[in-house]
Amino acid sequence: MRETRLWSLHILVIPIILVLLGAHFALMHYAPIFYALSVEKAREFSTMIARGKNIGQFVVYILLLAAGLYHGLYGTRGILRELPWSPALAKLIDLGILIFGIAIFALGVYVTWWTFNFELGG
Amino acid sequence: MLVAKTITFRIRRFDPETDSAPHWDSYAVNVFEGMTVLEALHQIKAEQEPSLAWRSSCRMGVCGSCGMFVNQFPQLACQTQVLHLEADIVSVEPLPNYPNVKDLVPDLQPLVEKHAEVKPYIIHPDLKEMREPSGEFLQTPAEREAFSQFTYCIKCGVCLAACPTAATDPAFLGPQALTQAYRYSADNRDSGVHSRRDSVGAFHGAYQCHMAGACSHACPKGVDPALAIQLLKRALVLDNFGFGKKESQSAKVAPLADVVKELEEFAPPPRTAE
Ligand code: HEM
Ligand code: HEM
Ligand code: SF4
Ligand code: FES
Repeated sequence: MRETRLWSLHILVIPIILVLLGAHFALMHYAPIFYALSVEKAREFSTMIARGKNIGQFVVYILLLAAGLYHGLYGTRGILRELPWSPALAKLIDLGILIFGIAIFALGVYVTWWTFNFELGG
Repeated sequence: MLVAKTITFRIRRFDPETDSAPHWDSYAVNVFEGMTVLEALHQIKAEQEPSLAWRSSCRMGVCGSCGMFVNQFPQLACQTQVLHLEADIVSVEPLPNYPNVKDLVPDLQPLVEKHAEVKPYIIHPDLKEMREPSGEFLQTPAEREAFSQFTYCIKCGVCLAACPTAATDPAFLGPQALTQAYRYSADNRDSGVHSRRDSVGAFHGAYQCHMAGACSHACPKGVDPALAIQLLKRALVLDNFGFGKKESQSAKVAPLADVVKELEEFAPPPRTAE
């Protein structure tokens, strides 16, 4: 039952990742097209910071971070746990991946938050 | 019978009483058109190596005893014609993913245990109704069609031998058991998916299938276990979120008078003797 919920979430976040990844590409990689900037200008630190202060981008990244991390780490856990570990080691792998995920999520939120609040020249 | 070709059989031998590891022996066999791998093994046993061991019975793809790894592909020895392999050397090994008892005999105990674990029988919420039904359980052809192909499984274990997940994860329930779990869960007389979730909905159950599809490719009976597993995942998710089939139908008693009336409508009245 627990596995059913975890796996359902693994699948359910796929459309979320697809949509948000589209947003990520539009906001970031295709910024020169969508915002009519030159490639050099789009890559400038000041432009990145300006983008980072956009609340839309802030929300997109927190959600994409959560969705991408969950999907990727659940999938990685599936691959790792496929090997014939002892029950104790299997538990340790689950716990390790959970802690790793939470730590990376916290770091991602911190960086995104930092960018969101950064004052140029301040 | 006309001999078409002489073929070398490389057979993996292992006798647990004398050998510490398996070894290979070669036998030349005069193969005639239509000869199966099983017939070739019989000939080797009769004329060259009386101690050669394997398991077979029906010789017609029904009993599921003779699964072997022939030229690196798991298949039924009795259904594989030697000349169809289009090779001058034919290697024969016991099915992978099972312990080896002797020579070409795999220990199918894991298959049997996994099969039993998924409760491969119709589960009715009312135990009394299940054991002594009050009438007939009706099933339309469409309802039967929902799981029909999955009933063709002969429990040969070839699919589990083909499965790459089973190769790394010995606890994986595997295509045979999961397919039977779906075969019963999809039956309109059954309401057992909820009680099967403890095995098939756990980590080593349906979700460990990554859709390699090797089982469906190998199955000698045309069962599509990979499809059954994906349908089982869906049934489990629907059940988990409360959208699944709630209960199996209760027995529908068809009173005799109705049956007679129905028969009269479809069949011409019996001719009376003149
Ligand atoms: C779950 C998926 C992803 C997440 C969470 C993610 C997140 C991020 C974040 C937070 C940034 C920094 C944004 C900024 O500095 O303004 C970034 C930049 C970048 N991402 Fe992604 N990303 C993902 C997928 C991808 C993919 C699939 C690619 C490549 C195919 C990619 C390539 C890049 C590159 C090249 C940059 C640097 C862009 C620049 O020069 O400013 N990302 N990503
Ligand atoms: C672009 C959108 C993506 C789609 C459409 C997608 C789709 C899928 C699908 C269908 C599965 C198979 C699920 C199953 O076997 O039950 C899967 C597994 C997996 N995904 Fe993704 N995914 C995407 C992005 C990502 C990202 C960004 C990562 C890494 C951060 C990732 C890592 C994995 C891993 C590790 C698995 C497990 C593989 C396995 O079980 O064999 N995926 N993904
Ligand atoms: S599903 Fe096919 S390969 Fe697997 S045990 Fe049944 S008949 Fe054999
Ligand atoms: S001997 Fe019965 S299936 Fe081959």
